[in-house]
Amino acid sequence: MTGRLRGHRTTLLITLGLLAAVAVVVWSGQGGRTAEDLDPANPGPAGARALARVLDDHGVDVSVARGADELDAADIDTATTVVVTSTDSLGRSTVERLLSTVGDARLVLVAPGPGVTDAMGLGGQPSSSTLGQGTRGACADPAYDALVLEVDATLAYPAADGCFRTDDGDAVLVERDGVVSFGAGDALTNDQILRGDNAAVALRLLGQDERLVWYVPSVADLVGDDGVSLASLLPDWLAPGLWLVGLSAVALVLWRVRRLGPLSTEPLPVVVKAIETTLSRGRLYRRAGDRAHAAGALRRAARTRAAERLRLGTVTDDQVLVRDVAQHLGRPIEEVAALLAPDAPTPASDAALITLADQLAELDREVRRT
Amino acid sequence: MAISGRVPLLLLAGLVAVLLRPSASTVLLWLLVVTTLTLLDWLVAPRPAALSLERRPVGATRLGYPTETLIVVRNTSRRRVRALLRDAWQPSAGASDNRHRVSLAPGDRAVLRTPLLPRRRGDLRATGVTVRLPGPLRLAARQRTLVVPGSVRSLPPFESRKHLPSRLARLRELDGRSAVRVRGQGTEFDSLREYVRGDDVRSIDWRASARNRNVVVRTWQPERDRRVVLVLDTSRTSAGRVDDVPRLDSAMDAALLLAALVARAGDRVDVVAGDRRVRARVRSAGARDIVARLQDTMADLEPVIAEADWDSLAGAVQAMGRQRALVVLLTPLEPSAIEEGLLTVLPALTRHHRVVLASVKDPALDRLAAARGSIDEVYDAAAAEQVLARRRRTAELLAALGVDVVDADAEQLPPALADHYLHLKAQGLL
Repeated sequence: MTGRLRGHRTTLLITLGLLAAVAVVVWSGQGGRTAEDLDPANPGPAGARALARVLDDHGVDVSVARGADELDAADIDTATTVVVTSTDSLGRSTVERLLSTVGDARLVLVAPGPGVTDAMGLGGQPSSSTLGQGTRGACADPAYDALVLEVDATLAYPAADGCFRTDDGDAVLVERDGVVSFGAGDALTNDQILRGDNAAVALRLLGQDERLVWYVPSVADLVGDDGVSLASLLPDWLAPGLWLVGLSAVALVLWRVRRLGPLSTEPLPVVVKAIETTLSRGRLYRRAGDRAHAAGALRRAARTRAAERLRLGTVTDDQVLVRDVAQHLGRPIEEVAALLAPDAPTPASDAALITLADQLAELDREVRRT
Repeated sequence: MAISGRVPLLLLAGLVAVLLRPSASTVLLWLLVVTTLTLLDWLVAPRPAALSLERRPVGATRLGYPTETLIVVRNTSRRRVRALLRDAWQPSAGASDNRHRVSLAPGDRAVLRTPLLPRRRGDLRATGVTVRLPGPLRLAARQRTLVVPGSVRSLPPFESRKHLPSRLARLRELDGRSAVRVRGQGTEFDSLREYVRGDDVRSIDWRASARNRNVVVRTWQPERDRRVVLVLDTSRTSAGRVDDVPRLDSAMDAALLLAALVARAGDRVDVVAGDRRVRARVRSAGARDIVARLQDTMADLEPVIAEADWDSLAGAVQAMGRQRALVVLLTPLEPSAIEEGLLTVLPALTRHHRVVLASVKDPALDRLAAARGSIDEVYDAAAAEQVLARRRRTAELLAALGVDVVDADAEQLPPALADHYLHLKAQGLL
């Protein structure tokens, strides 16, 4: 038993480590924290817990409503401000439900996108924009007039009377029929709330009434044909999951790329083909089109071979050889001379050269056969 | 450092945590945990110094014949060491299955066997032993390549060994009856024996027969203690490959067969190898193990891209001794190389010795001369005929100088050369 345990010790260790890690993560996930952007319970850089805490400290009664049901249950009257973050998760049906629930209370929408402004009937397409350095409120509302809003990117709405005008002339903060659209959602985050006068803007925006209902809409409340943005439909573990898979792929590459020692090298020998010089000589003849030389070489070789075959010795006269070959084969002397004689005409074309080569080979075979 | 496949798996296991707490910080936290674990594992992994490696000498083997190399690995540390080792050799040494897993208790040792199958002649070297030592979690490992020198000497294969028995049989036949054309020269009287039918009547010793009741014949044995000098040309012409085998290797094969035969026949073999300078000299002094010594010497001879200096080679032959010898020049019958280098020194050699030139013929040349299908082939055939004619002329020139030329394919050259030697010996021309 102990032997088996020892054998699987590392597996056991890894499994234990895994369980411990999961336990730590689960435990740290307790306490209602979320990773939602601008969530009043999110302490991360993109959350808005700081704002919610400060409002609470200043005597504003902050209550968080997650989902439409909780919103319905919330106590909302004219002395209440309703703020909606994560407006991406609002659909047509939840907007209607929101409007009916809010009634006369003041409604603040944080960074509503085109779908939401449409559903609210606010009119005018929001556009992504930037604020110039040190942009002041510069509007009729004295609460924001002298304040400086500092964010990197913002949504702006076409309006004649809004506050914080962007370079394009649109306004970041617009109020219509008791509905406030505030495009610079980043200004409320834990990360950026201390830049410029962002904190003051946020407190004046949300702290006007005794009570603040912080509505975090939930995708689960939507009905079938609501148009919502794609991001709200994807499961929230997808992006971190993909990151993890990507990291794992990198580790996989690092694992496979490490070789067990360097490549072994071979001191290479010289490779020379013995036939190479002959082949290049052949190419030389071909390039020069030297049929005379080629035909001469072939005829000479055929004469040598015939002389060897007929045992005429190496120093035979060419005419004697032609005569003997003709006699031996029983062919006319002229025919054999046209093939073998050193002074026979050079082939006029490549085709003639091939024919001559073939005939010489045939003659050679005949001499050998007889 | 090297990580194992467990690291990506462990990273993937973090998906569980991400499902429970979907946030970027979970990923970071998980990555941190895995990285820390991996680094810790690497830190506590045993060091390469914990192993001592020692290679046993490999020795020699014939090319194409398997052998193996042994490494003794010893754990010199005080803890158990697991390791993956790779015994790397240059590729032509043919080290297969060269990865070994060991698990050694303190003070323990193991012998790692790596089979080798040399595919090239010469000294083939080990390039290093890579040691990978994983930590206790086997997430990360220390890795280092250690130099553990070693080499295997791959001898010429001596493929023509198969021709030896038949030639030795011929040699024994010669021992029994030496038909000597030139009487009295270079033949040694062996003994007298009774005449049996079939004996040459010219060998009847009448004087002895007169003293005896039976007819007595003289028997002769071939001369012994002759000298044969093999000259192995390692210059540029020997680098040329015939059917992808360098001519030098074929020449070595022929030299080995001839040396084995000569040693058995009671003659002495000396070998000179060289190109621009003399690369190897072997004097046998009648030793029986001449083949092994020759193989050992030839193992690391490689062709050199340089012209042969026949003056110095001929000088080395002359320096071997003044006694008349059979000088076998193992060099390709390459007209230009021979006319420029060898011809000038041949007269000096032929004056003192009997000279044979053994050359590896390229069968591709004959094939090229016979192919006459297209115009390209015809031009190539013409070139091949031209080369063949020049070779023939050079051979005739050599014959006129009194040099015997043995020109044969790589396969045929060793037996042809051996037969030529036997022929000369039978004729008493050594």
